[in-house]
Amino acid sequence: MNFRFITHDLIMGIKTWMRSPGTVFWTILFPVLLILIFGAIFSGADEVEYDLHVQDLDDSFSSKMFIDVLHNISALNVEIISNDTDISEYMHDEDLSVVLQIPEGFEKTLHQSISDDNVTVNVSFYFDPSDQTTTSVLRSIVAGVLNEFNMDATGGRHVIGMNDVSTLGEDFDFIDFFIPGMIGFTIMTSCIYGSIERNTKYRKDGILRKLLTMPITRAEWILSKMLFMLFLSFVSTAVILIVGTLIWGVSVKINIFFFILIIATSFLFSGIGMIIGRFVKDQETADMAGGAVTFPMMFLAGTFFSLDMMPEFMQLIAQVLPLYYVNEGLRNAMIYSDMDKTLYFTAFVLVFAAVFFIIGIILTKWKED
Amino acid sequence: MVEKTVSCPDCGKTLTCSGNPGEVVKITCSSCNTVGKVTFKRSISTTDVAIEVSNLKKIYGDLVAVNDISFSIKKGEVFAFLGPNGAGKTTTVEMIESIRQPIAGDIKILNKDIKTSFGEVKEKIGILPQEFRSFEKLTVRETLVYFSKLYTKKADINDIINAMDLKDEENKLYKDLSGGLKQRVGVAISLVNDPDILFLDEPTTGLDPKARREVWEVIADLRDKGKTVFLTTHYMEEAEFLADHIAIIHKGKIIAEGSLEELIEKHGEGSILRIKNCASKNTVDILKENGFEAYAERNGDIAVKIDFKERVLDVLSILKHECIDYENIDIRRSNLEEIFLKLTGAKLSEAAA
Repeated sequence: MNFRFITHDLIMGIKTWMRSPGTVFWTILFPVLLILIFGAIFSGADEVEYDLHVQDLDDSFSSKMFIDVLHNISALNVEIISNDTDISEYMHDEDLSVVLQIPEGFEKTLHQSISDDNVTVNVSFYFDPSDQTTTSVLRSIVAGVLNEFNMDATGGRHVIGMNDVSTLGEDFDFIDFFIPGMIGFTIMTSCIYGSIERNTKYRKDGILRKLLTMPITRAEWILSKMLFMLFLSFVSTAVILIVGTLIWGVSVKINIFFFILIIATSFLFSGIGMIIGRFVKDQETADMAGGAVTFPMMFLAGTFFSLDMMPEFMQLIAQVLPLYYVNEGLRNAMIYSDMDKTLYFTAFVLVFAAVFFIIGIILTKWKED
Repeated sequence: MVEKTVSCPDCGKTLTCSGNPGEVVKITCSSCNTVGKVTFKRSISTTDVAIEVSNLKKIYGDLVAVNDISFSIKKGEVFAFLGPNGAGKTTTVEMIESIRQPIAGDIKILNKDIKTSFGEVKEKIGILPQEFRSFEKLTVRETLVYFSKLYTKKADINDIINAMDLKDEENKLYKDLSGGLKQRVGVAISLVNDPDILFLDEPTTGLDPKARREVWEVIADLRDKGKTVFLTTHYMEEAEFLADHIAIIHKGKIIAEGSLEELIEKHGEGSILRIKNCASKNTVDILKENGFEAYAERNGDIAVKIDFKERVLDVLSILKHECIDYENIDIRRSNLEEIFLKLTGAKLSEAAA
């Protein structure tokens, strides 16, 4: 392995990339634009969701009345969960975005409020911040019901309030969950399109034939290109994080899994690009082939929208898409700090990366038939 | 100079003449005055051989792209591999460059078998692939530096830029160059490791006549510097202008090989003298009676085959002696196009289309 060749080829790759405004735009500015646009859209988005699970710790006449009011809202499908259920675990297991908990002493506080103006009680609104749309809709519905209930029970005095409890223990916005998806999406597009273009254009222009007759080996060349893709991945990730932090105040955690996932994702999608590039003969077809792979994956793998919003069969499709594991891995590593899930998704990404990259290397031939 | 002993085909007298390898020398029998020609073939020793190809074969499905061809190329010569598109030129050169795998045959470059020693050979060869395009966003100098740094053996980039007359373009991006300049840069790239052998695959295809001529000058300079050049082309003028040694390939087989002189001698029809607007209808008969091979062409001109330039004077003196009037004459030597036509029944330019 001649590292001088690798370094030299890598520097050439960076130099030519920086001189291509179009490529720089798609790698850096395009994801930034998406962050700004989607961030603006989802910061005030309305969405219609109906499932509301309620835990009634008070189990009183008043709490049942409150639940009946919720039942009477046609947009809601209220389900009661048992009092001994751990809400965080339950939401995790049932894949729920929101659970409402009526506290013990709910009725007693209501009664006390008749004689004491200062007494209040809060229902707890457990929510998953990653599903901002569902959460915001249900929060506004529950708040409306509380207002109505306060009006009926106390003549409008604010006795029953709502206490937000994030299942993550911290308060995150949609943009925090969007950022990891954006990172996965950007690495995917730059690696797939980069690999396809390199393989088709270099083959068409005779550069691969030229390299074959030169001392640099195929392994050295592929390694150099991988280092270049890693460079691009980290540059675009850094830009996304900087913009996300400065504009939207994102709160993410950078840990070892974050780096492992960025590296594995670069190898994974470069491998897919190399596989496609082997079978695509011209530039036009290369672009179409790249789009055919990246576009469906972008929408079906939960990059911009929560998978919960999609029909069940589409959620099943997501389970076979590598980008889904990248997105979930990055979210769990950067946002949820759920190490079990991070390990689970990272393992999938590593396996995908190994499989696709090895197949890509095997199929990337310099020799002609 | 090499001495050669031959026998006169008419009287059998033993004659001695001398000449250089590849040269065709006229000889007159001192006994019967019979005039003949002696060809001094190139004698190739192992150390003189740059490339040796033996029984090379390549098949794609039912198509035999290269059919059991063999040839040798001497060090320091320009070898033109001439043939129409689809004849098997690029397949052959790419097998020699180890880009394609032959199904049979042996290839040696600088006496090394490329099956086992291509790694060693890489430093000693420079290649311009067919339809080569370099990195668009690098300047000419950066391009040359990039390719140069991927070799251990290096030529001076400034020398290459000067030799290729690229000084004014060295800081221009590759994408902004004309077609001719891009090909010149392509040739320059193939020189960055100061190779002993250059493979130039159709270096002038698609270029206008001026740009083509510029590339020819570059290749001629390389020959003068002692480089061995393997040139594939479907332009006969290119081969005639540049080549010391020509192999004509047609449908995967080499149908003729040798220097231009040798090919013309062996397959050509010598020189043809054309008598334009000849007034006498008996001219052909008169010339035939005087031992000339003559015939009337469709446009009425009379063509006379000329073996030696001295015979032109004989024709002119016959015309004068017989008081035959004519408008003018021209003399044209056989060329590769005619040889290709004779050997394949098709014009090279038409076969290429």
